[in-house]
Amino acid sequence: MKRIVSLILAMGSIVVYAQDEKQYTLPGVVVTGTGTQHLLKDVPVQTEVISRKMLDNYSGKSLEEILGGLTASFSFNEGDMGSQLQLNGLGNNYVLILVDGKRLHGDNGGENDLGLIDPHNVERIEIVKGAQSALYGSDAIAGVINIITKKHTESGVYLENTSRYGSYNDIRQHNGVSVKYGKWTSYTNFQLQHTDGWQNTADEYTEGTIVHDSKNKTVNKYTNWQVSERLSYDFSKNLSLYAEGWVYGKRIYRPTDGHYPSCDVHTYDLMYRNASASTGGQWKINKTDYLTFDVDWNRHAYYYKYTATTLEDGYDPNGKFTNYFPYFAGQKNLQSDQQRTLATVKGVFYLPAQNILNVGGEFRYDYLNAPMRVVDGKASDWTGSIYAQDEFNLLKWLNITGGIRLNQNGAFGFKATPKLSTMISMGDFRIRLGWSQGFKTPTPKELHYRYLRQMGSKTYYYMGNEDLDAQTSNYWSAGAEYRDNRFTFSVTGYLNKLENMITLVNIPVGEIPVGSTQYLGDGSNEIIPRMYKNMEDAKTYGVDVNLSYKISSELSTGGNYSYLDTDAHVYDPKHDRLNAVTIDGMAHHKWNVYLTWNHRFVPTYRLSAGIYGRGSSKRYYQNDGNGKAYQIWRIATTHDLGKSGKPATYRLEVGVDNIFNFVDRTPHDYHLGTTSAGTTFYATFSVKFNTGKKINHLTTKKDNYDED
Amino acid sequence: MMKIKSLLIAMAAVAATAFTLSSCSSDDDPVNNYTQYQNAVDQEVSAQKQKSGNKKAILLVAFGSTWQQAFDAFDTTKAAYEADSRFKGYDVFVSYSSAICINRAAAGEHVADGAQVRNYYAPNFWLHAFGAAKYDEILVQSLQVIPGEEFTRVINYMKDFANNSLRDLDDEYLSKVTLRLGAPLLTDVDKDVPAVAKALDAVYGSKAKNGVVAFMGHGNPNDYDTYSANVRYTQLEEALQEINPNYYVGTVDMPDNYKQNVGERMELNGIKSGKMYLHPLMSIAGDHAHNDMGGVGEEYWDPMDPESEDNSWFEYFSNKGYELNENESILMFGLLEVAGVRKIWMDHTANAIADEALDEYYHSMFPEE
Repeated sequence: MKRIVSLILAMGSIVVYAQDEKQYTLPGVVVTGTGTQHLLKDVPVQTEVISRKMLDNYSGKSLEEILGGLTASFSFNEGDMGSQLQLNGLGNNYVLILVDGKRLHGDNGGENDLGLIDPHNVERIEIVKGAQSALYGSDAIAGVINIITKKHTESGVYLENTSRYGSYNDIRQHNGVSVKYGKWTSYTNFQLQHTDGWQNTADEYTEGTIVHDSKNKTVNKYTNWQVSERLSYDFSKNLSLYAEGWVYGKRIYRPTDGHYPSCDVHTYDLMYRNASASTGGQWKINKTDYLTFDVDWNRHAYYYKYTATTLEDGYDPNGKFTNYFPYFAGQKNLQSDQQRTLATVKGVFYLPAQNILNVGGEFRYDYLNAPMRVVDGKASDWTGSIYAQDEFNLLKWLNITGGIRLNQNGAFGFKATPKLSTMISMGDFRIRLGWSQGFKTPTPKELHYRYLRQMGSKTYYYMGNEDLDAQTSNYWSAGAEYRDNRFTFSVTGYLNKLENMITLVNIPVGEIPVGSTQYLGDGSNEIIPRMYKNMEDAKTYGVDVNLSYKISSELSTGGNYSYLDTDAHVYDPKHDRLNAVTIDGMAHHKWNVYLTWNHRFVPTYRLSAGIYGRGSSKRYYQNDGNGKAYQIWRIATTHDLGKSGKPATYRLEVGVDNIFNFVDRTPHDYHLGTTSAGTTFYATFSVKFNTGKKINHLTTKKDNYDED
Repeated sequence: MMKIKSLLIAMAAVAATAFTLSSCSSDDDPVNNYTQYQNAVDQEVSAQKQKSGNKKAILLVAFGSTWQQAFDAFDTTKAAYEADSRFKGYDVFVSYSSAICINRAAAGEHVADGAQVRNYYAPNFWLHAFGAAKYDEILVQSLQVIPGEEFTRVINYMKDFANNSLRDLDDEYLSKVTLRLGAPLLTDVDKDVPAVAKALDAVYGSKAKNGVVAFMGHGNPNDYDTYSANVRYTQLEEALQEINPNYYVGTVDMPDNYKQNVGERMELNGIKSGKMYLHPLMSIAGDHAHNDMGGVGEEYWDPMDPESEDNSWFEYFSNKGYELNENESILMFGLLEVAGVRKIWMDHTANAIADEALDEYYHSMFPEE
């Protein structure tokens, strides 16, 4: 606690300001695809938006729930090792998650921790598929998710509290304090997420049979918390600066009452400690042109927190390597510490003849400290890149946006990745064509990591591969869209062709590098070796369809559908042939639908109610069976209380998720279609208080795609 | 300018604070952990020595397992040693060399119910504890099947112990203690291989008269085939076939002796159909035995890739047209559960007590030492 107080005090001594905050809060505007502001209708790069209104109505408890429930392109399978996010068939590794334009950092097995994002502090989410944007790095091979957080520009003091409680002791806390005084703005955010976890089945495949009293949970108990602070200061009309930082902690609790050493006995929990510090600013050169600069340091440290005596790799008192270094309950042991330093500069210039030029550069340094998981304990990597992108309104009905990003990596050299999009406008119709190249170098983990991981009754040995090549991609998309005040329809086809795609594949034990201490055994316990390998070829292709219709000012409906197929091969040296590889987690069909209704009964009470459905066909995996098809329906209600213009407003959200109680009770150790616990209930209460002027947080908008 | 300066100071403060907050100060003293753990083992051994009054110890070393059937097999083996008059006066201990298996066995096993907890400490901890308790004689019996990679580790533990690697044992005691090493099951090609063949035939002879009995050993990939110990599998098959040509021995990982090679040899011998039985050739029946050998069902059979390594022996041979039946054909016993085979390990222990010259064998493996 002392530490948190000292952090806040330290931050209190800072001089600061905000980046281009205003651009993020303009109504109906998106920024992700091009880095410049566009009305959603006219954005040259196809962008999908989850608006504040949709977020409020849906009342998602986490980013996983929001993205999974309000789009058809994402799927998740929450587990100890992260959310298993997929966007159009490609995993989190290929998806760039940005928070206000800044890369989310830190991964486990390629999975970002989405708990770093406070779901109650999200203003809007923009999704751009493929490596279409030159701005954010060519490693966004599957796409970019830009989470735009709420900005509080009201004068005076602004306070808010959101408390959510749901089944399985699901607790979400969000507290925000914003103070604007003169040229200063401070925003402090605290969030907490907790669940006791749940067990959909006590059946587990182990010891050659199915046991019926396994203690393993479907989703384990966890708690995570985050404190963040952002201070900004307006030096002048043209120059503003900010500094921000946060700390985050998470612990995943695993059952300690297991009876089967072969599957449900665990001797440690998983623990994370993350932190970030960044600073930057914006300089307005003139009315339209500006420069921004940011320096950002991030840390993601991963520990085992022991719950029973555990022998681990380590060094004995003589300094000699041993497989049997003991840790006792309550102690922790660092598994990996990923640190990243990122410096970016960006400039936007409005040029003559309808050109907007966007230029910038980025330098990124990654450092990995993993004493027992990397040979020599440490690894590092750097990438520098510069980019230029021009939006050219050649004709009134024709926009061409072209960009190039030049990437230089410390180990893998140089690669230029061009991007080109075209938009043809005909009244309310838009046709968008896009082509982009992506480039992604292997991560230090993919190159150097080696560790044993027990999953249920199986022990996997994961190996990095120092012979990996960089991955490149070509993404093509073609889309047609119709959008008027009431009706939106779009259909987009895409093909993402990856060369040297890196994936984990099972390998024969004979391929485990010699000298590896992990290859042991007389056959009593099987170790399944898996290694990162470049695939010979891999492609994902599909069609996304979006539809929304405003039936009346109070009633809206819509839905999304996503079809996906994949095709990938890896070379099998033993048999000298190409083997087809399943891209783990792939499902052919995914969909979601919604129907929302809202009505203001009296000036002080407004009701919104919605029904939401989502589903997926069977999900395919290399090992441990396929995930079952599922569909899940949800009813959400929102009750806005209080009069607009008053300092305090209140909101109550009550809902039922998975109303038809779909539960995947496939025994443990096999893949699930969904980890949903079945029917769950939640209630959220929010209070917002503001001493200054302009505090109407009640929505006035009329369409799900409109902004407040 | 002042403002920029204070901004810089402030940013440094944020970074420093965030760093401090996220760094977990290391309050775990590694030396102390190690010593603390060793002390617990020392105490357990010392209590046992005091209770039994024995001056000699036998340590049975296996890779380990997390399966109940394996725990039972080790219990039975330990009990067999304790009941054998040849080992009277010895305290018997079981050791695992797999850290994962040690961890889980100690933490699981119905701890919450107050039921039995099995501490299969790693060999180095047991040996140190024997030294601290000053047993006059220490005999380490390898429970490995072939003298391969695992066996070298057993030898290395003994060397570390003899060299007082932690420097806290009594050197005078160490100069006097008698150290003995019991060889793995298939060490001697002339004695052990025919003896194991005979012991297996004593149990499965009647089955071999009805059909093929195929044993599945582990084997090592070429790069891990320490002292070319893989050859014992081939030699065992030859010895078994001298008794009855219906016996076959294959492996999971030994090159040119996979299930496909077993199938080819059977066909060459004219066995293209008929009954078949499968038996693990491993000290205990664990993951490999249940999955790679005895896995039944579509999960263990890929019709698109019949030669896949992931196909189980049961499915592979069933699909080749042999008669296999889930209830009768899978003989799911580890070798420690076959009394006649277990006896050969115990004979090795007895031979070690009788000062069988393992020295020569040992030195030929490590000429540089």
